[in-house]
Amino acid sequence: MTGEHSTGDGGDSDPAENATRRGLLRAAAGATVAGAASTAGCLGVTTPADVAAQNEVSGNVGHFVGPSWLADNREDTVVLDARDPERFREERIYRARRVPFDAVTARESTEEGDVPDADAIASAFGEVGVSPDDDVLVYGASVGSRVTRVAFALAAVGHEGSIRVLNGGLSAWNGRLGTGSRDRVSPTEYEPEPDDSAWVTREWIADRVGTFNADGPGLVDVRVPEAYLAAAGSDALNGDHDRHGHLPGAVDVHWVGNVSGRRMTEPTRLVQLYESEAELDRGEPVVVYGDDNVDPTSTWLTLKAIGFADVRLYDGGFGEWANVDGDRGRYPVETATNVVVETDGSVGGDDDGGDFSCTG
Amino acid sequence: MTEEVERDDASTDAGDGISGDRVLAVPCEGADSLALFALDTGERLGEVPVGSHPVHATTCRGRTVVATMGERAVTAVDPSGEVTRVETGVLGPSHFAAANGELYVSCSAGDALAVIDPERLTLVDRVAVGAEPHELAVSPDGTRLYSGSRREGVVDVVDTETRDRLAAIDAGDDARVQGIAVSSDGTRGYAVDQRGARVVSFETGAESGSLSLVEPTAAEAAVGADPYDLVVTEGRVFVPGRGDGVVHEFDLGLEPIAVHEGFSRPVDVFRLAGRWWVLDAEASGLRSLDGERVETAAPGLVATPAGDGRLAVSHYDDDRVSLVDVDSGTVWTADSPAYPFGSVVV
Repeated sequence: MTGEHSTGDGGDSDPAENATRRGLLRAAAGATVAGAASTAGCLGVTTPADVAAQNEVSGNVGHFVGPSWLADNREDTVVLDARDPERFREERIYRARRVPFDAVTARESTEEGDVPDADAIASAFGEVGVSPDDDVLVYGASVGSRVTRVAFALAAVGHEGSIRVLNGGLSAWNGRLGTGSRDRVSPTEYEPEPDDSAWVTREWIADRVGTFNADGPGLVDVRVPEAYLAAAGSDALNGDHDRHGHLPGAVDVHWVGNVSGRRMTEPTRLVQLYESEAELDRGEPVVVYGDDNVDPTSTWLTLKAIGFADVRLYDGGFGEWANVDGDRGRYPVETATNVVVETDGSVGGDDDGGDFSCTG
Repeated sequence: MTEEVERDDASTDAGDGISGDRVLAVPCEGADSLALFALDTGERLGEVPVGSHPVHATTCRGRTVVATMGERAVTAVDPSGEVTRVETGVLGPSHFAAANGELYVSCSAGDALAVIDPERLTLVDRVAVGAEPHELAVSPDGTRLYSGSRREGVVDVVDTETRDRLAAIDAGDDARVQGIAVSSDGTRGYAVDQRGARVVSFETGAESGSLSLVEPTAAEAAVGADPYDLVVTEGRVFVPGRGDGVVHEFDLGLEPIAVHEGFSRPVDVFRLAGRWWVLDAEASGLRSLDGERVETAAPGLVATPAGDGRLAVSHYDDDRVSLVDVDSGTVWTADSPAYPFGSVVV
C-alpha cells in the first residue's frame, strides 16, 4: 500500500520512526485531528468550515487526510464512495464513484485457507474506472470499517497509487456535491498484482499457534470482548459458529476504539491503546482479525496510520477458524482470559447504509 | 483424573517405605516455582523457576513435568537439572495423564489436549476436545483417554493410539464436568457435573470409532453442592460436596450407600492405612469416614499419597506443606513459596 507518511511500508529507519513519534507528540500538544481548537465559528454556531476544520489531519499520521487535502488535490485524485447505493444517490462528493462493496470483500478458498479474491476485487475497481496507478481517496459516512475495507482491498490487489481515507467522512466535506444517478466512467482493465504481504492465511496462523504476542507476531482480535471471551448467552456470539472464543494468544481491542464519531480517534490515544495497553511492537508483524474481513480492516489501517510497519489481515477471520473442517487440534481456540483492552470509541454516521452496519 | 496418575507414581515410587532421598516437588502457584523438600525431613532443598501459575506436577520417563496454567507451555526438569519449556500452543495447561508412552495435558483455557513426547520433550500433537478441558482419566489398558469439558458439558473419548477423538459423551444440559474417573475394570466411566451437583456414569467401549454425541447410558445421582473431584475404587465411588460438607458414597452402579456428613469443605478422599480419609479445605485435619481424626498444621487443599500411610498435604492458603502420617500425626511441616498446590513424590 502506498502512503506518504514517513513510516510507510518500506521499512523506515529509526530516525523516521522517531519522527513519527515526535509528530504524534506534537499532535498531542494540540495540532491534531480533532476540532477542539477550531475558532472558525461563533459560539454555538457550527459552520461547514468548522466541520471541515475539525477533521483536518496534521502530524505524522499516514493514510488519513482532511478535507483541505482533498480540496487541494481533487483533480488528481479518484474519489471512491464506500456507502450503499441509496446514500450515494442522495448525496456524494462530486464525481465520486461508488464501489460495489460486496465485490471488495470477496474471498477465494485455497489449500492455505481463505484469501482475498484478487480477480473479483480488481474487476470491481476496474468497473468504476480505477487504474492501478491512480491516487485514490475513499470516504464513507465516517471512517468506519466499510471505508477501510475498500482501502484494504486496494492494497490487496497491489494498488500502485496512493490510498487515502477522508477523515470525518462525507459530512466533513464542504466542497462541491453530486446527487442522483452515478456519473458515467469508462471501465478499465485492472490487472491485479496481489500483495500477499497484506494478509495471512489460516495455515500461516496455525503454524504459529503459541507464539502470538509472545516471541512471534502480534495478534489482535477486533471483536467485542463478549465474543472474544465466548461469554455464555451473549448476543455477541455468532450462532453460525461451531466454536466460540479467540485465536490462541490474541489480545482483544474492539475496533470501534479506532473511531471517534465520524473521524479517527486522536493519534496519541491510538498509540497509547496499541503500544502501551495492548503492548504491540510497531517493529514486528501484527495480524488483525475479526468475525469477518471488514471490521478488522479498521485496525489494519489505523495501525499503519500510526506507524506500524507490517500489519496483516487474517481475511478468513474467526468465522473460518471456528468452523474449520478436519483436525481442529491444529486450529485451537481459547476461551479463558487473555488481555482485553478496553476502548471507548464510537462510530458515527447515518443509518444502516453507513459504516456501523458492518460491525457484526 | 490427574491425582490418580500422581498417586500411581507415588505408590510405585514410595509404596513400601519412604526412602531417605525421596523428594517432594510442590508447584507453588503464587511463586511460579517448583519447591523441593526432602520427603523424610521436610528440609527445603531448593526451588526451580517453572513459569506462570504452576498447579500440578507429574513424573514421566525420569522427568518431572509441571503444568503452568498461566503459560502456553509446560516445564520439564530432567535428571541433570536441565529445565525445558515444552510449548502446548494453547493457554492453561492443567492436568496430566500418561498413555501409550505419551503425556497428555489438558489446556484448560482452550479446546485442546496437548500431546507431549516425554523423551524428546516436544509437542507431537494436539487433540481437539470440548472447550476448557480439565481433568483426564485413562482406561486401565491405556487405549482410551477421557477428558472432561467444563464449558461444553461433555466427556471426550480419545483413542490413545491414533489420537483421534472418538466420541463426546453428553453429561447433561448445562453440565460443567470437573472430575473424571474410570472403574478399575475399565467398563464404566464417571464424571462429576459441578454445576448440576451430580455424578453420571457411562459405559465405556460404546464409542463407534467416529465422533458422535453419546448419551450417558448408565446412571446418575445427586451429590453434595459444588462437587469437584471424585474417587473411584474397587466397588465404591466417593464424591465430596464442597458446598455443604458431605461426602456421598455409592456403589459402582451409583446406588447410594451412605452420605457422610459433618465436614466443612471436603475436597478429596484417600485410602490410607485401611481407612478412607477426607481432606478438608476448611479444617486443620484429616478425618476418616469412620470418625478418626488427625490434626494438621492448617487446612489442606490438595494432597498426594507418599506411601506407608502418609500424605503430603499442600496448605494452599497458608503457604505451608506437611507430611502427615494418619497413624502418628504430622511428621513435619515446612514453609513453602506462595500457594503450594498439587505435588508429586520423586
